[in-house]
Amino acid sequence: MQKQGKAIAMISGGLDSTLALALVRRQGIEVKAVNFYTGFCITETQRRKGGRADGSVPRNEALRAAADLEVDIEYVDISGSEYLDMLVHPKYGYGANANPCVDCRVFMMRKAKAIMEAEGADFIFTGEVLGQRPKSQRRDTLRIIERDSGLDGRLLRPLSAKLLPPTIPEQTGIVDRELLEAISGRSRQRQMELAKELGVVDWPQPAGGCCYLTDESFAKKFFDVLDTREAAGEERRIVPEDVVLLSTGRHFRISPRAKLIVGRSEVENALLEHHVPGRARLEAKDVLGPIALVEGEPTWEERMLAARIVARYGKGKDAPKVAVEWREGELVETYEVEPERDEARVEALRI
Amino acid sequence: MPAPARTLDTSGRLCPFPIVETAKAVRSLDEGAVLLVISTDAGIATDMPMWCKATRNEHLGTFREGSAWKSFVRKRAR
Repeated sequence: MQKQGKAIAMISGGLDSTLALALVRRQGIEVKAVNFYTGFCITETQRRKGGRADGSVPRNEALRAAADLEVDIEYVDISGSEYLDMLVHPKYGYGANANPCVDCRVFMMRKAKAIMEAEGADFIFTGEVLGQRPKSQRRDTLRIIERDSGLDGRLLRPLSAKLLPPTIPEQTGIVDRELLEAISGRSRQRQMELAKELGVVDWPQPAGGCCYLTDESFAKKFFDVLDTREAAGEERRIVPEDVVLLSTGRHFRISPRAKLIVGRSEVENALLEHHVPGRARLEAKDVLGPIALVEGEPTWEERMLAARIVARYGKGKDAPKVAVEWREGELVETYEVEPERDEARVEALRI
Repeated sequence: MPAPARTLDTSGRLCPFPIVETAKAVRSLDEGAVLLVISTDAGIATDMPMWCKATRNEHLGTFREGSAWKSFVRKRAR
């Protein structure tokens, strides 16, 4: 095959981006894949916590796709403050949860554009499909993403290309538009046929739903952090440590002044131990139980409530009293509390 | 295993960072030189062979040693 140009592929490793990769590769175009690390990938977090509930460890699908198609891949860490600030102040707003998909795509495309220029590549392509997602893959938003990222004419969506205006690489003949697709909507029928045609046999199931920001319960915790900071007269912001804690443990809003985080597994307990500075650390003393952290400045009653909830999630939950140790800097105290038995109350405090 | 030209210790770093750091380290190696990557993240055992295949570097082997993994990679000749 004759090499015709160079492209940067933004891949997640899902079926769509794998197919886009295969479509462009079969035209003899040199491809470099990039995968962005945002810190919000559910699969990545599952891997970090030792795998899924059934004991299996998810693969890194972007790596798998690049390996299958023998395409060079680069990871780009965008999880820093610039990305977090975008999440808090999205120009195009949120989807159903804490997902500012349009702004996130623009953010990634800008980074990809810098890589395209550094690599001397001709264009960028993605696995986006027209009409597949309600917010970020509508015709108007696909156009916004292209315009705001400064990629005018250099952003190709191979799976929907025939339904979109021709891009520069199509106009100049680097890419043969006839060999691209006209897929739209949520049905995956054409993708399944195309996978057979292109010899793509391996992709993750189910597709999509990999981002914590699209998760309803995560979104509640995300906005709780922002709202609580704002109510306390602080800036609405998210810091990297918040991201780790938001995907760890059960969260309880004890009061506007205090939040409780209770580990759900040994791995989560170990993770919480790394975030003790600046917080109170709670643990039942004589029975097995979770590690918990309290953020903020709870009143005496709120401390007792937090201790009762911690006792409720340990082996002493049916005991009349449980000793819960409260460590906060130099302060170490033990509270003898009755495990909280009012399930409705516990649930009402859940964020 | 051949003697590594460089050893990269990514202990305590979680995926995908052992691979991110591997990519950077391999870039600075001479062609044909061997990099030893030490990782405490079990993901390295599946990630490293796939990364090597994608980037056409040679995966010489990944072995568990106690609580860590040792992965040997030979930089491809271009």
